[in-house]
Amino acid sequence: MSMNQKINLRVWLKIPDAEAATVKNTLIRRMGYGNVLADVKKERLFSIEVDSGDPAELAKSFAKELVNENKESHIVLIDELQFEEGYVPVKVALHIEDGEAISIRERLRSRLGFENVADVKKATVWKLYFDTLKPEAQMAAREIAEKLLINPHKDSYEIMS
Amino acid sequence: MKIAVLQFPGTNCEFETLVAVKAVGMDGEIFRWNRPAGELSGFDGFVIPGGFSYQDRLRAGVIASKEPVMSALKEEAGKGKPIIGICNGFQILVETGLLPGSANHNGVGSEKSCGNVEMALAQNVMISQGKIVRRGYYCDWVNLRHEAPSKRCSGSFAIERGALLKIPIAHGEGNLVTTTPGLIKKLNDEGQVVFRYCDKNGRIINEFPFNVNGSTESIAAICNEQGNVLGMMPHPERAFFAWQLPAFDPRKQRTDEPGPGRRVFESMKRYIEVNA
Repeated sequence: MSMNQKINLRVWLKIPDAEAATVKNTLIRRMGYGNVLADVKKERLFSIEVDSGDPAELAKSFAKELVNENKESHIVLIDELQFEEGYVPVKVALHIEDGEAISIRERLRSRLGFENVADVKKATVWKLYFDTLKPEAQMAAREIAEKLLINPHKDSYEIMS
Repeated sequence: MKIAVLQFPGTNCEFETLVAVKAVGMDGEIFRWNRPAGELSGFDGFVIPGGFSYQDRLRAGVIASKEPVMSALKEEAGKGKPIIGICNGFQILVETGLLPGSANHNGVGSEKSCGNVEMALAQNVMISQGKIVRRGYYCDWVNLRHEAPSKRCSGSFAIERGALLKIPIAHGEGNLVTTTPGLIKKLNDEGQVVFRYCDKNGRIINEFPFNVNGSTESIAAICNEQGNVLGMMPHPERAFFAWQLPAFDPRKQRTDEPGPGRRVFESMKRYIEVNA
């Protein structure tokens, strides 16, 4: 039985996120979601699996490497991944090989000496704020994911609420 | 013969592309993305040049693909007018569904023609001897072999099958991947693979440094079924004149000679002349 623990780092910009603004603008001005969509925010998500060590301490070290505190904030969640109420979180990740995630794993293991890092996964979480009730919001979020947020030939998505 | 060179926020090759268009004897102008899209109908052909439209936000080409000008361009494509997408232009055409375009030919303007995206130009992954040796953005001069019969495609209309062209690439997302069953076979069978990356002798070697981005079957350029829409990752406008060639190429000194990229623009002109 695996004893690995998963450290989830949710990272977001403290400064305005131009990419999220562009996505919001495109959805409202070009794709007809102006009457239901209130806002779009974005987070980066790193899920780091470790096979030993204190995950809380390790998380602090990983955050030093992966988060630029001059412009980003983050929270750590160990063996869980929860999101707040009030928006629909859509997690988008590559289903083809993710070169950046592999690079991060190798950097942590080989260059920085964290040999207890077993795996690294990376995703983007789009936080979609709607003016509608939850069932309609979830349906709209799926539609937005499929029409804009992913290219199904390389990305997959998951509604996290 | 008037060509629109489309300009989105972040496009950065529009001016040299326009030079290339005019140098082969076509008229042309830069067409900003926010002009009334209907004005596109006054042009005989279109080039979507390279660059980083919308800073490649979300993924390369996708934000531009939602602009009204692209809906108008689909209508022009349906009329058989030539469209060449170079680098970011190729990415935009893929995200719009104009390439490979199998789902688009049942009626322009219909829901179906809004485009099923059938493939992706994913992040570069350079593979050699079974190992990943490099990832991400890469720029270099590459050799291309023309795979389609001449006259099959607007952008290679006047290029013979098997011709070799040396043209530069510069991109981070040119790795053609698809989960559409049978798509690659169909592209091969129907002559829609226009260029492949190859070595200097024209041999296809499906690994880095010959296959520069990990693209399926070393595919560098494809056209739609009708042949009027071409998407290519390499930049022909950057090899239009011999003086643009790299220092190690002896043709660089022959300043009166055309560069290999000129043949793409000459093809477009010939295609329009024949199909007018």
